Amino acid sequence: AGTGTGTGTGTGTEREREPGEGGEAAGSRSDGAAPPAGDLASDQEQATGLERKVLEAMNKGLVSGGCSLPPPPGEEDNSCVIWFWLHKGEAQRCPSCGAHYKLIPHELPH
Amino acid sequence: MAHQAHSYHMVDPSPWPIFGAAAALLTTSGLIMWFHYNSSVLLTLGLISMLLVMLQWWRDIVRESTFQGHHTPTVQKGLRYGMILFITSEAFFFLGFFWAFFHSSLAPTPELGGQWPPTGIKPLNPMEVPLLNTAILLASGITVTWAHHSITEGNRKHAIHALTLTILLGFYFTALQAMEYHEAPFSIADSVYGSTFFVATGFHGLHVIIGSSFLTVCLFRLIKFHFTSDHHFGFEAAAWYWHFVDVIWLFLYMTIYWWGS
Repeated sequence: AGTGTGTGTGTGTEREREPGEGGEAAGSRSDGAAPPAGDLASDQEQATGLERKVLEAMNKGLVSGGCSLPPPPGEEDNSCVIWFWLHKGEAQRCPSCGAHYKLIPHELPH
Repeated sequence: MAHQAHSYHMVDPSPWPIFGAAAALLTTSGLIMWFHYNSSVLLTLGLISMLLVMLQWWRDIVRESTFQGHHTPTVQKGLRYGMILFITSEAFFFLGFFWAFFHSSLAPTPELGGQWPPTGIKPLNPMEVPLLNTAILLASGITVTWAHHSITEGNRKHAIHALTLTILLGFYFTALQAMEYHEAPFSIADSVYGSTFFVATGFHGLHVIIGSSFLTVCLFRLIKFHFTSDHHFGFEAAAWYWHFVDVIWLFLYMTIYWWGS
């Protein structure tokens, strides 16, 4: 199907949709192409700034969406938070798993 | 790289909050001057400054979100909570007026003739224009849902059609209500019947106008490609508000229009 000639009633030119394409979410195109002119973009295509950074980090699996699912069977259960005071000076060890933690000064570049 | 180690939005300094407060002060004192001293200067100034603050504040929010990307999922979650809390507060606002209606109508005083509607009051027929208005708002609830589905499917053309239809239905409701107000055989001064009727339906009408305006802004943003199929909270907030307005009407219709006749 080629690009339709738009008569522009305010919605722009529209590509004729091939049978079977109707209802497909704009963001789930497997070829990664831009949506046909006149359709809405997905976040993947249009997000910017910090929102885009968060989206890309989530896609890479670096950051969770926030929900806590139980770990698959066989995996270690890490779902309980261990709180303890960390003081300046000597490194301390987590009272549960023994990992070493040391408090150091750090300023973010700005 | 990152200038902050969190996903919240620390907003830049803005003059709109304090200007908004000043506008609210002008408007409220303007109402007093209008009610008691027959002067509308202060009220006019107040309403104009309120409008200007709203336009510029919300314009800035669109800039911060759509164009600068500050509305991360975390920020959006906060906005959702905020809108839900606001709509809840509006529900309580209307609850008060329903309370007033039932207070007076469940035990009508001798001054009213011991009956409801009071002696001499000819209520509007709930099966005429009010029923049409009910159908209009219910239909608009369907069209706004159609618009939402179109947005999540990325179908801009259908979304624009559905949202436009929703707004037109809202205008139709407002026009019909205005005509009803003009033609009604009773006024706000006609005993507590007039008071409860016009204050409750009047505030509802104001909310229909607010909701229609909100939806209209969304229509402009939709046309200008602000929304994505995943992120369109401004539209969702407008749709929630619109459904709320519809629900309030349903309660008004069942209680004041129907039971109250």
